[in-house]
Amino acid sequence: MYEIGRLAVKIAGRDSGKKCVIVDILNDRYVMIDGETRRRKCNIIHIEPLDQTIKINKNASHDEIKEAFKDLGLEVRDTKPREKQVRPIKLRSKEKVKVEKVEKKKGIFGRSKKEKVVEAQVAEAAKPTKEMEKSSLEELAGIEDKDADKKTSDKKEKKPKKAVEKSHEKKPAVKKKKDAK
Amino acid sequence: MRNTKSRTYRRVYRKAPGGRSVLQLKKRKPKNAHCATCRSVLKGVPRERPFKIKNMPKTMKRPERPYGGVLCSKCSKRLFIEKTRSLV
Repeated sequence: MYEIGRLAVKIAGRDSGKKCVIVDILNDRYVMIDGETRRRKCNIIHIEPLDQTIKINKNASHDEIKEAFKDLGLEVRDTKPREKQVRPIKLRSKEKVKVEKVEKKKGIFGRSKKEKVVEAQVAEAAKPTKEMEKSSLEELAGIEDKDADKKTSDKKEKKPKKAVEKSHEKKPAVKKKKDAK
Repeated sequence: MRNTKSRTYRRVYRKAPGGRSVLQLKKRKPKNAHCATCRSVLKGVPRERPFKIKNMPKTMKRPERPYGGVLCSKCSKRLFIEKTRSLV
């Protein structure tokens, strides 16, 4: 009676009253079902078999069962499995005290001095220089600097700055040579 | 003045901010829900006053099952078996 391809109706659970198909026999008690219900193992006690059977292979996929149910005139609903949500861990009073002691040693902001120095060094090494940024962006875009010549010509030649004498600066004392008499 | 001799109201002694204990009268909770066919106590249905049940989510008021909150699990199983055998 309980064979692969046998139609059945679920009696217990939140899927009760819905039609399903036996996909695989796991045990004397348990059976794998699929169809209008969720794809899962089920106890034989919670199933009421029907007279109808369907031609399906062992461990048939959900899509194959969908097509077989369409011929019978039954609609199969697709459901997504729920994502597991990580619950925040609650610490007891003793564990909280341990955590607070460790944080105090590390510092106010939760990091030790060594960790801060290491992080600063890593950040400086990871920073790309200005030349690298320009060249990498241009290479990615595939653009050539056609205006590169113009840019150089447009730039005004910088004249060397003259040393401007400031009034507030003291001039060095100049020794006058006395004429030999 | 309420007639508290028949004990329809629940007597609760509470401490007031001034320090003295005061008697307060409160209404009692309703009885448990029962199955419509076999009259056994239904599980998964809370026993609270309407103002508390109103703010509860739907899933907390009855089990997630057809005829949940109306029939017990045994009666609902029997009902589905009879339906399938009548079709056959």
